[in-house]
Amino acid sequence: MTRPQSSARYFAGTARVLSALAARPRAVRALLAGPRAVRAILAGTAVLALASCSGGAIAQNTPVSSGKSYVSGSYSSTYYGPGSRPAAPAVSGTTLTGSKFTLSADRGSLVVLNFWGSWCAPCRNEAPALAALATHFKSDPVRFVGDDVHDSTASAQAFEHTFNVGYPSLNDPGEQVALAFHGTVPPVAIPTTLLIDRTGHIAGRIVGGVSYRGLLALINKILAERS
Amino acid sequence: MTQDLAGRETGAGQEAVVGQDAVAGQDAAGGQDTAAGRDGAAGAQAPGSATRLTSGRLGVVGWLRWGWRQLTSMRTALVLLFLLALASIPGSVLPQQGIDPAAVTQYYAAHPALAPFLARLSAFDVFGAPWFAAIYLLLFTSLAGCVLPRAYRLAKSARQPPPRAPRYLARLPQAAGFRTVQPPDPALAAAAGLLRRRRFRVRTGDGWVSAEKGYLHEIGNLLFHVALLGLLVSVALGGLFGYKGNRLLVEGDTFANTPVGLDVFHPGRLVSAGDLQPFSITLNKFTARYVTSGPQRGQPSWFAAAIRYNSQYDGRLHSYDLRVNHPLIVDGVQVFLIGHGYAPEFKVTDSTGQVKFEQAVPFIPVEQSGLTSAGVIKVPDAQPRQLGFAGVFLPTQIDVGGRLASAFPAADYPRVSLVSYAGNLGLNSGQPQSVYNLDTSRMRRLAVSPRPLAPGQSIVLPHGLGKLTFTGYRQWVSLAVTYDPGQVPALVSALAALAGLILSFLVRRRRIFVRAVPAGEADDEADARAAAGGATYVEVAGLTRSDAAGGFETEFAELSSEIMQEVRAAAAAAGQPGGVAAAAGPKGE
Repeated sequence: MTRPQSSARYFAGTARVLSALAARPRAVRALLAGPRAVRAILAGTAVLALASCSGGAIAQNTPVSSGKSYVSGSYSSTYYGPGSRPAAPAVSGTTLTGSKFTLSADRGSLVVLNFWGSWCAPCRNEAPALAALATHFKSDPVRFVGDDVHDSTASAQAFEHTFNVGYPSLNDPGEQVALAFHGTVPPVAIPTTLLIDRTGHIAGRIVGGVSYRGLLALINKILAERS
Repeated sequence: MTQDLAGRETGAGQEAVVGQDAVAGQDAAGGQDTAAGRDGAAGAQAPGSATRLTSGRLGVVGWLRWGWRQLTSMRTALVLLFLLALASIPGSVLPQQGIDPAAVTQYYAAHPALAPFLARLSAFDVFGAPWFAAIYLLLFTSLAGCVLPRAYRLAKSARQPPPRAPRYLARLPQAAGFRTVQPPDPALAAAAGLLRRRRFRVRTGDGWVSAEKGYLHEIGNLLFHVALLGLLVSVALGGLFGYKGNRLLVEGDTFANTPVGLDVFHPGRLVSAGDLQPFSITLNKFTARYVTSGPQRGQPSWFAAAIRYNSQYDGRLHSYDLRVNHPLIVDGVQVFLIGHGYAPEFKVTDSTGQVKFEQAVPFIPVEQSGLTSAGVIKVPDAQPRQLGFAGVFLPTQIDVGGRLASAFPAADYPRVSLVSYAGNLGLNSGQPQSVYNLDTSRMRRLAVSPRPLAPGQSIVLPHGLGKLTFTGYRQWVSLAVTYDPGQVPALVSALAALAGLILSFLVRRRRIFVRAVPAGEADDEADARAAAGGATYVEVAGLTRSDAAGGFETEFAELSSEIMQEVRAAAAAAGQPGGVAAAAGPKGE
């Protein structure tokens, strides 16, 4: 006779669970649809928290980070061994100075592709290192290319003037170059630097601002692979 | 029999039915066939009670089993559910980082002592807190541990053939009997034929027929349990593979659905940057209409954002009108229009005369009736000093006793009023900062009047530091990008759970037993004649376990009389007149 009792309790319990869920929409929302709850709250108000650097940038000027979003400045450097390199997509576009650029034209050289914006503080911080490295590798098979996202041409050109950037940058206000890397090794924050080897495969990625020494070491490592 | 009937039932009065059945079961010839394999719960109950008695000598396994049984009990699930509700309270009382980081900042300013303590308890990120995750993971485990074994038992029970007929049918709650001249076997065959035509599952034996119907009850029950699991899995799917993001988009601009293109990005636990559906959206034009008179004046009456987007499936450009409650669904991702505002356009030249800044700058509304919006302009590449401006955009500027205000949200008389700064913006240090905040701690306020500028007007900065021109304005929209792969499965599961629940309440499982024995004694003339002709006494009994919907009594009465007529008809066909001699009513009449 124990079983009918327990089963009756079970079902009464189930009914109670359902009614409890119905009575506590917040709990249901928390369970079912975090995003929806958030949206409902957001809908009434203007969204104050918007772009600074990178996706998930809102956490940056506030005391606590949500820990979930990609926060720029969380530096990470990855090297991909020769056997496990995804092919870089076909990238082409117009540079800030109006000339045509095609990534595959640099096949045979190591390409350092830096995603940046003039509004982005870590980009401004890493700019001198990038400019210096571009000069350092002038006579080597290393090409530096920028991709200026979410920016205006005037501001970007002023940035290049300030930091004496000697290499070209793609004009990419709609993040279409970043989008092209979908499914490979995409940039996850601004700035992100991708290293594309001589055969057009992605050999390294640095998320966050680069340091002179860090990028130098990674470039030399990839350059040394041939020998 | 008891075990077989119990354990799945909900209806009121179930105790009575089971009680009756137990009496019948004790005497039933077929009682033993149910005792064996299916008393899972009864079997499971025993070690549970043993645990309580001998807990002092429990081994590790015993304790684990005890713990598991506690965790998967419905009481624990309810407690966890209550805890979940309780734990989400701080999420609605305190500002949340993921929803309104500005409010969190304000809270820090207002409660400098309390805020860091609360932050350590994840009170500003309740739904991402470890303790919150602990509660829902336990709840998940509890429900899964409860529902899975039950679903398995229900599935087994749904496949079970009817049990053997009890020996003393008269003891069942519904019973009837009649005599017939048919010998037992043809009479039973006729009864079994009728029950089969009535879509009963029929099992026959020596001198009895047992039939059962209403397996949909079990199917409904099973469906409900499986759907509950489905709901849990859907929720997990959404949490692991879903993501949400926001993007502010100015008219004429494009954004790509990448972590780089989103201003705010909250990925699920298993979402990586390369997983985002690769579509782009361009905002062509945003249109808003406002109520122009009456008490509702200034209230928005209509919004639409004319956008173009490309989908990865056909690679072509599509046009769409994004409106409130009219989201765009592209590649399974929902894009909602959640806000709008103005982005005044500025051009800044520095001391060298070169243009160092030329773009639309989104200003954020600070009030809704006139859409007064605040914003900042940073010119980090101005020479010799970096320039910064902070101020407001007034769509319809008026002067209220010397104070600037906006009378209407439409841009009927657009003006900007800016305070100018020169110095160090703090951008080059690499420390990320919001584009909506101007850190003036290392800047000097310039002696320029913040008088309202009309489009085309300029501020000329002192000391030849440069010039700012307000060139016009555009509008922006705020988009919420949401991907939740668990949404459709959750809906389907919820509907299935409801359907299963309804099914299990409406359909009752019921059994009909028929026994036929040669009539023993004749107590009247007709019976004597029948007995002389090898007459048979046929007993019909019925049993239901859940009569929530009611009406089994009526159904049984109809069925038993149909069986009687069927047997009589069969007898008549076989050329035996007076097929039915007598019939007794249901027990209790």
